Amino acid sequence: MKPGELKLPYLFQPGQFGRFKIKNRIKYGACCVSNYNTRDGFITEREIARMRIIARTGCGMITNQGAYPDPLGEGKAYFRQVAIFDDKFLPQFERIAADIKEQGAMAIQQILHAGRYGGIDLGYCIQPSDVPQTLPHFRPPKVMTKDEIRDCIRQHAEAADRAIRAGFDGTEITSFMGYLLANFNSRFTNQRSDEYGGSIENRGRFMRELIDGIKQATPDNPLVVRLNGAELMDKWGGNSEDECFELMRQAADAGVDMISVTVGWQEAPESSIGRDIPPGYWNYLSERAKKTCPNTLITFGNRLPDPRMADQCLRDGVFDFWEVCRPLLADPDLIHKAAEDRLDEARRCIGSLNCLSRLFRDLPYTCTMNPALGHEVEPEYQVTPAAVRKKVMIIGAGPAGMECAITAARRGHDVTVFDKAGRVGGNLYAYAMNDLARPDDLLSVISHYEVVAKRLGIEIRLNTEVHAKFMRSVLHQYDVCVVAAGARIDRVPFENMEGAEFMVDALDVAHGRITAGKRVVVIGGGKIGLTVAEALRKNQGAEVTVVEKDKRIAGDVKPSFKWRHASWVEELGIPCLTLSQPVKVTKEGVTVRDGKGVETFLPADTVILAAASKPAHELFHEFEWMVDELHGIGDALIPRGLEQAIQEGFRLGVRL
Amino acid sequence: MSALPEPDAWQAAAARHNELFAALEPGARIGLVAREAPATMLLWEVGDAGIEVRDAPFPGFAASGADIVLAANAQALGEICSAVDAQLFVVLRAGIRSGAVVCYVLRRRCDLEAKGFEELLDALGFAFMGACR
Repeated sequence: MKPGELKLPYLFQPGQFGRFKIKNRIKYGACCVSNYNTRDGFITEREIARMRIIARTGCGMITNQGAYPDPLGEGKAYFRQVAIFDDKFLPQFERIAADIKEQGAMAIQQILHAGRYGGIDLGYCIQPSDVPQTLPHFRPPKVMTKDEIRDCIRQHAEAADRAIRAGFDGTEITSFMGYLLANFNSRFTNQRSDEYGGSIENRGRFMRELIDGIKQATPDNPLVVRLNGAELMDKWGGNSEDECFELMRQAADAGVDMISVTVGWQEAPESSIGRDIPPGYWNYLSERAKKTCPNTLITFGNRLPDPRMADQCLRDGVFDFWEVCRPLLADPDLIHKAAEDRLDEARRCIGSLNCLSRLFRDLPYTCTMNPALGHEVEPEYQVTPAAVRKKVMIIGAGPAGMECAITAARRGHDVTVFDKAGRVGGNLYAYAMNDLARPDDLLSVISHYEVVAKRLGIEIRLNTEVHAKFMRSVLHQYDVCVVAAGARIDRVPFENMEGAEFMVDALDVAHGRITAGKRVVVIGGGKIGLTVAEALRKNQGAEVTVVEKDKRIAGDVKPSFKWRHASWVEELGIPCLTLSQPVKVTKEGVTVRDGKGVETFLPADTVILAAASKPAHELFHEFEWMVDELHGIGDALIPRGLEQAIQEGFRLGVRL
Repeated sequence: MSALPEPDAWQAAAARHNELFAALEPGARIGLVAREAPATMLLWEVGDAGIEVRDAPFPGFAASGADIVLAANAQALGEICSAVDAQLFVVLRAGIRSGAVVCYVLRRRCDLEAKGFEELLDALGFAFMGACR
């Protein structure tokens, strides 16, 4: 046994699922649709290349992403979702199933009919009842007739049969997160008065008939059903947790072989899988499922990203299999690192939900932490040995610089990183220290870089500012210079404003270099300004007002996190003056002018400037004639965010 | 059963928040119903002369002709009635966020924006709502 397997004996112990032996207790869950496929439902080479990576993650059971089962596309939720309503789609499914099984894993195919969230190419979606959408992204509802319900069940059974013929060992149907199965189960969306609606027994009828139809079509192959332990829709009239577990009991009684416990609907007014939910928060749902359905296997993994936590849960009988997806998108080697006792090198899923944010813009998913995701088919994204070993100097130990450093070092380059600060992380560290969600996730990015850089022998010279004089002192010692010096708050637009010198820099406050007072005005309601404002309000009890020149705050925040800032601002009682700009600052406060030209004086002992950032790219001009190759990455080119910093660092690292 | 706000007060609230309604196309309709047993719908409707308010029977979502229907639970309806003369949209937005008010959208975002709903959706907090959190 490998050293990590001895430390995590429950995770790596074999299991049994139906007639299939499973090499460990890890199920790769089909949590996300990749959107890598053709518009008409065929699997692409890009998808197959991605699944080659997933097949090699070391999981004992691997679920291929959800395919819609109907020719009209009523079940189709995502722009480039795969289809399985016809045998013409099977050759690519056969390749994926064979590859998964060649790696010693059990292959499961998920059948995903999106119901309320479906019909993406149509002018409607189908549902049990006429319940309009709460998010305008989705389509208006059309109520299913009983004939259509029967057709839908037949289509699922045929899809399952097709998957088994393609070589999959089992199938999975899913209610997660608010799909058709959930629409029938839930009181929120099922208001029928026939035998498919009303009582919980009637609402569960569609699910039981679905299970029965698929079991009859594929009697020798196990079936998984994904069911909510909590819908988080109860405030809107959805199911209570008690009802969710009653439905699980119905599924178990109907003969399903495994229940995957999930949390939340896409439109739920509460957070379920984001960075603000602590790992392990939902484990109680899985524990309850085990008690409710003692003779049915339970798999679970919502907000449970750490193999060590999963091992403990298995030891405690919380579930039978750990279901994991996003952590393996962030680091496909996570299980191997766990087995080899190298978890300190793992890239943690930080729950930024970049993957899902993109899906709802009809884009392929990507991962903040894994720049190669979705590019597996492209040789340009492979980390290959460098043809010429170079000496590389990187200016800036933030995410862009560190990602570039470790990628270049893995290719055999000799890398030195310089940073004027006393620690690795750049402005990510400051962000983490002020983040109200989960600083630990963001700090894990920094510790990952520190550990991996050390193992790769990268020299990191902290407290070392690189400028023209320094460059002259190391002239001809390096073949490549990468400027990854980040960005700083741009004061130029305020140069002529009276009292501009009284404004302090938000990054100085965020890094702890300046201490703000008790009455604060923050100029700029973007990511930096809001983060600093929220931290000052919550952690130091300061009275804080945000002034934003645009119509809305959080303009540069990821779509999946805008709501979080909006909530914090309201919960913490931080007034946000939009369409407003400072016109004069004094020691006593700041005068702001709103969109109608009305001026207001806001008393403050600290005025923090958190306006737009400016790239620190002066070094480009200074170093142009000093080094053979000169490159720039991340915020030093255009100030953006963590994802772009990591992506650009990697992309440069693989081609140096 | 909780009462809906008085039509006159509802009319005055629209006038007070004219900036949210100014861009709405004629025919745009926003309904308010009690979530439990909705029988009557209080409507803001854009006519040629601006915002008109009227009570109407609630025939179900599909037949309501509304673009947006706000369905409030009993407690939220009470809060809406109390706030109708003051911070109405603050209360509506908080109700939507907390789950006390369900905001049903009967048109797609592109159709709503074409009808001039951008400001109103913004005031209800839609800029900050999104799938999968």
